[in-house]
This record gives sequence, structure tokens and C-alpha cells, in this order.
Amino acid sequence: MAVDINTGLVALGSAVAIGVSAIAAAWAEKSIGVAAIGAMAEKEELFGKGLILTVIPETIVIFGLVIAILILNLSGA
Amino acid sequence: MVLKPESMGKITLVGPKSYREAVVAELHRLKILHISDHAKTDDIDVGSPLEKANELSEVLVKIRSISSWLRVKRKNNSEELKIEAGYDLGALSKKLYLEVKQKIEQLREVEGRVSANNSLKAELEALKNIAIDLSAFAEYRSIAYFAGYVKNLDGIENRLRAITEKFELYAAAEKGKNVIVLFVEIEKKNEAREILIQHGLSDISTQNLRGMRGRAHDSIRALEEEKSSLLKQMEKVTGSMGKLRLRYEKHLLFAEDFLEKELEKAEAPLRFAETKNTFVINGWVPEKDAEDAMKKLNAAGKNKIFFNLEEPGKKDSVPVKLKNPGPVRPFEFFMDLYTMPTYRELDPTFLVFLTFPLLFGFMLGDFGYGLVTLVLFIALKKKMPKAKNFFNILIFASIATIFFGLLFGEFFGFEEIGHFKLPHIISRSHQVTELLYLAVAVGVIHINIGLIAGFYNELKSHGFMAALYAKGGWIVLQIGVALLALSYLKIIALPIYTGIIFFVLSLLMLLKGEGIRGLIELPGIFSNILSYARLMAIGLSSVKLAEVINESATEMFHGGGFLILTGILLLLVGHIVNIGLGLLGSFLHSLRLHYVEFFTKFFHGGAKKFKPFGAKS
Repeated sequence: MAVDINTGLVALGSAVAIGVSAIAAAWAEKSIGVAAIGAMAEKEELFGKGLILTVIPETIVIFGLVIAILILNLSGA
Repeated sequence: MVLKPESMGKITLVGPKSYREAVVAELHRLKILHISDHAKTDDIDVGSPLEKANELSEVLVKIRSISSWLRVKRKNNSEELKIEAGYDLGALSKKLYLEVKQKIEQLREVEGRVSANNSLKAELEALKNIAIDLSAFAEYRSIAYFAGYVKNLDGIENRLRAITEKFELYAAAEKGKNVIVLFVEIEKKNEAREILIQHGLSDISTQNLRGMRGRAHDSIRALEEEKSSLLKQMEKVTGSMGKLRLRYEKHLLFAEDFLEKELEKAEAPLRFAETKNTFVINGWVPEKDAEDAMKKLNAAGKNKIFFNLEEPGKKDSVPVKLKNPGPVRPFEFFMDLYTMPTYRELDPTFLVFLTFPLLFGFMLGDFGYGLVTLVLFIALKKKMPKAKNFFNILIFASIATIFFGLLFGEFFGFEEIGHFKLPHIISRSHQVTELLYLAVAVGVIHINIGLIAGFYNELKSHGFMAALYAKGGWIVLQIGVALLALSYLKIIALPIYTGIIFFVLSLLMLLKGEGIRGLIELPGIFSNILSYARLMAIGLSSVKLAEVINESATEMFHGGGFLILTGILLLLVGHIVNIGLGLLGSFLHSLRLHYVEFFTKFFHGGAKKFKPFGAKS
């Protein structure tokens, strides 16, 4: 199917929004996860706290997703 | 009330030392008192352990070593351990310890000889094709020798001849590698070695060959004979140890369990305060059991025990025992995982019981998947009774998944079966934007439940005004922003300044209630609410994956023949993987929404768990 360039650009825009924010979230979680596992190795009860701290940056990718959907919606695609 | 932990009484118990042992035994039996460890002060020292503590721990150490040597393992089932009465554990442990120790030493010696045998055999194996007598590997004054593998033999001999005439080179092939032994006059030792290294020498040790005679072949045969006799010896020793294990396994397990308990009792006075003639125990007891406990302890102490029971003071760190009805209790698991609520705040377990399965179901939300996981977890719960609580949570979550599956009209990702369209309230794969709004709305509700709970906690600890400012402020802030947005978008006909008034009012309240920190965290509440968009995101990814699986499989079915088989396989594997991913994602994200977004609105935690003396950890 033929798609005009504007639709393609909109799709790319929302792809960048979710893709880049996913990379950012992954990066942030990586550092925290490493530290959390280190702490857990010393003290196992820290699992709960470690889990929470590790997943905190996950919100970044959710924001990315929301923006991606907004881009798609606002452009009326 | 379900939202409060068990009421505790602070108990002090004073008695003459002569009744110490009886009182400790009774306490251990009752399993009702959480002992606060006494910290040594100038006035009152900690107690000394009962006299038998030393002997007990000695016997216990012996029993544990025997158990580990005999590989006696504690079984997980809670079957009561019993042995015939009148067994002298001290004597048993002494006799058995010596017997098993002797056996284990024997075993280690034989093992050592086997490993020496193995390494010698490896050396001989390498040299077995070299045609020289083993006695050649002796110590010489004028000859040096090397043995080893080399990569290639070409030209070694010529190069050696270039440095000396006095050498003898033996070469043979062994398992595709070249083995050489070189004897050379000692003056040329280093040059010869240099040449060999250039040919890729890797040494074979000849250390153990000193003093041996004859050809390697014969020695290998002798070694093999020795080894088989050693292995027989080993078998004999392990066999007799196995017999000992069969005979004494029950006794050892019982003894370990029994001695641990006795030792705990004997060492309990280390946690008491003691003077020359009296002992003092400080601790916590559930209020409802206090009366009964005091009566029984007094009976054990022949009415010579003095009690003082009081309400916990404001500054006491009270150990917390959660009190929830049966269906809610599994969710206490989440508090164990995170941290215990303090004595004076709400126990969130009940709230988690209400909302955790809902958020989970919202994300997984598929009738078919819910059925599969429900059956799976009921089966697993039967199989692993130890993780009962965990599976109970998942069973609740699965039921919620079925419920949401009906709302979304989804069955393994299909929205219609044959030509029958499943009824739905909202379709996740077609009404993405509506789903997003719904998810955020769930967030608003959940967060505000949290704020209300926080209001209650604040009210109890700091009074009405503090609660109003610190928690009410957030609610007013949400109203203000909502009004602003709605009037800006002209959805409601209100002048824009009504929103601004609410907004400014909330800022003032937060500044008063939470200080500057509250203002800094201002955007936090909106990112918290937006975070609930994951309810849509996780769900959507799960639906889309299911749809892709279904569509590819349907295409294969149309292909016919062999493709039908692959289609079935794809359906099976695809949905199993998708269910696995969905379970993991939904569980963790639902948990995260509770821990990060929900709990931060009201929960502090950090209390010690109530652990009565004598209860198993």
C-alpha cells in the first residue's frame, strides 16, 4: 500500500518517542539493577526495596508511549 | 478492624532466679512473647545462660558434623520427628561421632590414593609408546632430560646435532600428538630446551616416575589393579556409612531439632536482664493473649512471678503482628517482601488484597489466559504447599483476569469465535485511546485511595490540620489542575480563575503541610498518575502479540497439509510464551504500582515483625 511521506514521518516521530525513551529507561535501570543486586548479595531482605528502586525509571518509557500515542492521535492518522 | 495490626501489650516479667528455667520452658511452649533483648547497662547486666548450654552446644556440633558426613538432610515436610523414648543423645553422639569420623578419615585417605594413582597413570599413559625403561628417569650428574609434547618433529634432530653430538632423542605418537623424550649432556641443557620450545614443547611431568622400573605398559597394568582395589575399599566404606545413615537418620534429625530447641531455651537468659537473685524479661505480647499467658507463666513460676502489663508508649518500637482474615492473609507476603507497617499506621494488606488482582487482571485481561493460569496455579498450589500464599495471590489474580477478559471480550486474543462476536465493554485492540484514558482514570482513583489512607495515618499521628494540609493539599491540587484543563479546553463553562484559585490554594496547603519538599515534588503526583498508563501498555502488547500469533496460525491453516501441524505448534508455543510474559509483566507492574505509586502516598513501614520466643523462623 502506498503511504505518503507525511504519514511516514508521523509514524517515525512516534517511533522515535517510544524508542529513545525505552533506551533511556533501560540505561537507567541497568545501573540501578546492578547496584540493587550488589546490595541483595549482602543482605537478602533488600529484595523488595531493590525491586522498587530498579523499576522506578520504567515510567520514562511509559511517558514515551503516551507521547507516541498522542503524536499519532493529534496528527489524525 | 482489618486495617490495623494486632494490639500489643508491653509486658515486664520479674521473678526469682530459681524459677528461671521453668518460666523459660513455659514461654517456649506458649510461643506468645516477643522478647526485647536487654542491652547491658551499668546497673543491670544481661543474664547468664543455663548451665547446660555448653554441653548442649557441644553435642549439637557433633550431631551436625555426623549429619553432614552421612549426608543426612532435613526434610521439608513438617512431619513430627519422633524416636523411641529413653535415648541418651549424649552417649549416642559420642559413639557415633567417633565411628563416623574414623570412616570419613578412611574414605579421605583412599580418595587421596586414588587421585595420586590417577595422576601417575596419566604420566605413564603419555610415555607408554616411548621405547625406554622407566629407570632412565633418574637423577644424573652429566645428563639432563626433557619429556613433553611437541607440535612437529621436523628438523629437531638436525638442529640438536648442530649444538651437540651427545644426545638421544626418542619420539612416538600418542593420541595424535607427538611425544618426545630427549636426553642431552647437561652443558647444552638450555640450548636444547630452547630448540624444543621453538617446536612448541609442553612439558610432561616426570616427578612421580623416580625409582620406577620396567616399561610403562606394565606399570599401568599394576596401577589399574591397584585402583580397582582402592575403589572397592571406597565402596565398602561408603556402603557401611550408608547403613549407618539408614540406622540413625531419624535419630540424627530428631536430635538436631530437639537440641536446637533446648539450646534456644538455655541461651534465652542472654536476652534477659538479671541481678544476683532475680531475672527480668521485657517483651511484647498480643493483648488478647496476655491474660492467659500471665496465668500460665505464674503457674510455672509457682506464683512467684510479678507481671506488669501496659499500653505501648508513643516512642516504643512495637513489633508488628498483622491481623487479617483468611482470604486476605496471603497478601501479607507483599509486606514481608517490602517492610512491615509500623504499629500505629494502617496495615495496607487489605487494600492490596482489593486492588492488586484488579490491576493484574486489567493488564493480562483475557478470558482464555485467565482460565489457563487459574488451572495452572491451583495445580501448582497442590504440588508445592510451601509456596501456598504466593499461589493464592496468583489465583485471585487469575480470577480477576477472567473477569477483565469478559469485559474486554477476549479469548486467547480472539475477539470473535467462528462468527460469534464476543460481547465487550471496551475493546483493547481497537479502542487504544479510550483504554489509555481508562487506565489513567484507574490511576486517579488508586492514588486518591492512597491519599485518603495517608490522611487517616496523618490524622492519627499528627492531628487533623496536618492531615488536611499534607494529604488534602494533593487532592485540591488535582481538582485545581483538572478544572484548569477542563475550562481551558472549554469542556465546562467555568471562568479559568476558579481552577487557578484551587491551584494556588493547594500550593499553600502543601507548603504548610510538607514544606518546600512538597512543592518540589509537585509534578510527581502527575507522573504517578500517568504511570498507570502502563495498565494499557502492558495489556496492549499482550493482546497484539496474541493477535499476531493467531493471524499467522490462521494463515497456516489455510495453507493445509503439513502447515496445519506447524500452525497448531505455533499456537501452542506462541500462547504459552505470551502467557509467561504476561504473567511476569502483569505481576511485576501491578506490584510496582502498589509499591511505588500507591504506598508512597501513605505508607512508612520499617517495623520489626512480631516473632514470639519458641516459634520457628
